[in-house]
Amino acid sequence: MSDHVHVIDQDRFEAEVLRSHEPVLLDFFSTECPPCEALAPKYEAVAGQFAGRARFFKIFRQGNRELAAKLGVTGSPTVLLFKDGREVGGRLSGDIKRSELRQAVEALVA
Amino acid sequence: MSERFDLIVVGAGPAGLAAAIYGARARLKTLVLDEGVPGGQVKTTHKVSNYPGFPEDIKGSELAAAFARQAERFGATIARSVEITAADLGGLAAPEKRFVLDDEREVVAPAAIIATGARPRPLGVEGEARFRGAGISYCATCDGAYFEGKDIHVVGGGNSAVEESLFLTQFARSVTIVHQFAEFQAEASIAEEALRHPKIRVLWRHEPRGFHGETSLAVMRVEDLAAHAVHDLPTDGVFVFVGMAPQADLVKGLVPLNAWGYVETGEDMSTPVPGLYVAGDLRAKRFRQITTAVADGTIAALAAQKYLRDRYPSRP
Repeated sequence: MSDHVHVIDQDRFEAEVLRSHEPVLLDFFSTECPPCEALAPKYEAVAGQFAGRARFFKIFRQGNRELAAKLGVTGSPTVLLFKDGREVGGRLSGDIKRSELRQAVEALVA
Repeated sequence: MSERFDLIVVGAGPAGLAAAIYGARARLKTLVLDEGVPGGQVKTTHKVSNYPGFPEDIKGSELAAAFARQAERFGATIARSVEITAADLGGLAAPEKRFVLDDEREVVAPAAIIATGARPRPLGVEGEARFRGAGISYCATCDGAYFEGKDIHVVGGGNSAVEESLFLTQFARSVTIVHQFAEFQAEASIAEEALRHPKIRVLWRHEPRGFHGETSLAVMRVEDLAAHAVHDLPTDGVFVFVGMAPQADLVKGLVPLNAWGYVETGEDMSTPVPGLYVAGDLRAKRFRQITTAVADGTIAALAAQKYLRDRYPSRP
């Protein structure tokens, strides 16, 4: 979808997210979800800013229910942050501001 | 280098987009700013039944998109997903309104209409922030599908709570509405529909007191207001619709607010700051509907046009 944001499915979760050498952001999104649509360009912009320092993925919740359930994600959008194979920091959800997202990534890559 | 407009509207809900339609049709170079996608609260309302001109129910997201398309057809620019990182709304001496967007773009206009509306009010009880997105939701259209076959609760008893409970029955196995009063505040037609619905039951005169669980929400603690007793209800998810809180951050300190934080305006949506108008749900008023929001937006845009004509008579 873009140079900096890649869409994955749950079968790639372990390889792309848990085994990543760089910190990873994973955004669960849904259709008919205005806050997901609102987040998309912000996620894209922040992904561009942190290119090479963190990896940005999106995962479509409807097609990946099992992983959503396993991770306890019950709302869209929800952004999870991973480092060294473990989820770290607080999750971001609902109406997410670009500044809020940027700050979370700054803390993640620090 | 800042970009100049005649009119900047903050908030692309029904009030802001109605203002943009009138502004753009009056040939004002009009910019609408929104932190998300256009539509305000309408875009996450699953259906709208009381907006004139639509004899059949219309999806809120479709009505929202139609408002935006109409404004854009007349030349208004809608800046989506932008965050206002600095603003100067001017004063008596310097009436220019300046907004910095995402720390990188500056836009300026001699008049502005603030239509930032209101956002869902949190309950303010223990555990609510922790389980947001992990069992607690404020948007049924966004998150309803996560609760297929589940037993969920809805908190509230107004139009939103009851309408969205009906919507959620298409996913959930059961929907229990928890309401602080002994009857709904919702319109009679939908209240009756909910009370007849086989998947919906109601806990009257109960209020949430806390949310508990390990990684995701498992239990909502409620108080039975009549019996003064506290119970723990196992739940798969809770949707909260207990009214709205005004988003007045941009104008705080500049304009008078009432006791609940809503902005007091003149009948023409004007504020004490020249060229600054407030429209829609952010205004202090008795009724907040899509129809009243578009009325406010219309009036604000017409008043802003008159202001610009009087103040800058040489403008084309």
